[in-house]
Amino acid sequence: MDNNQKIKNIIQALGEHKDSQAAIDLLTELGTNSPDDEIREITAQTLIKKNTHESLRVVLISKGKGINDLSARVAMASINELLSLKDKTEAIKILDDTIKMHSEEEVRNTARSVRALMTFSS
Amino acid sequence: MQIGKISLHTTNTSKTNNNCSPEKKLASNPFGVSFKGNVIQADVFEGTKKAGIGKSISEKSKLFASAVVSGINNFNEAFKSRMNSVVSFGKKITTNVFDTIEKFGNTEITFDMTGIKNKLFPNRQYSVKNLASKDVSELKTLWQDLAGIQAA
Repeated sequence: MDNNQKIKNIIQALGEHKDSQAAIDLLTELGTNSPDDEIREITAQTLIKKNTHESLRVVLISKGKGINDLSARVAMASINELLSLKDKTEAIKILDDTIKMHSEEEVRNTARSVRALMTFSS
Repeated sequence: MQIGKISLHTTNTSKTNNNCSPEKKLASNPFGVSFKGNVIQADVFEGTKKAGIGKSISEKSKLFASAVVSGINNFNEAFKSRMNSVVSFGKKITTNVFDTIEKFGNTEITFDMTGIKNKLFPNRQYSVKNLASKDVSELKTLWQDLAGIQAA
């Protein structure tokens, strides 16, 4: 087992961890800032799967993270994960707030696109 | 004892010479040995012969016995020396075993089961189930170590 696979397992373990807030903080600190696209992709997916306000905010409104990642692969994987959520209520609410209030136009535009996709997919 | 017997026989033969002819005497004594004019009877030789055979047998048996005894002595010595070496080896082994047991008795043995498990099953340490049971701070340290990130 190589180090990358071990890190992936740690991310997966954090997704199942009972200390949810601490796990989200660690994923945000180390996972979303990783130089490795694959690690960022898995981190974004894990945060979306958690489907909590804190975890979704990181991947929806943070510039350069989640759906706003510079890597198309990471951004597309995040959007796919959002679309596959059973309960999209919290994600839609955050996207709506982002479209209305976020200071960055780029982030607002991305949020609008994803919001539209989620509306069509639901 | 042998000489006495011979002299006794010769005395007896001198007496029997009167009854027996010289040819008959000579026939029983093919060597024709005479003693003080009297032909020595065969039984003298027979006696001597018998005594000689017995002596040679006894001498041979003595030689054989001495050879056997010396052989036995040699064997005993060799056996004893071998046994001594075996016994000393056994004693050495016993001493070593006792020393080892004593050392074990004075040694505190502890088993790091987690370390052993991690060495036996290195991938199990990084199984999701195992990782999920760990504290987040511990996971952070692990992640930083794996990614080569310096801890803040």
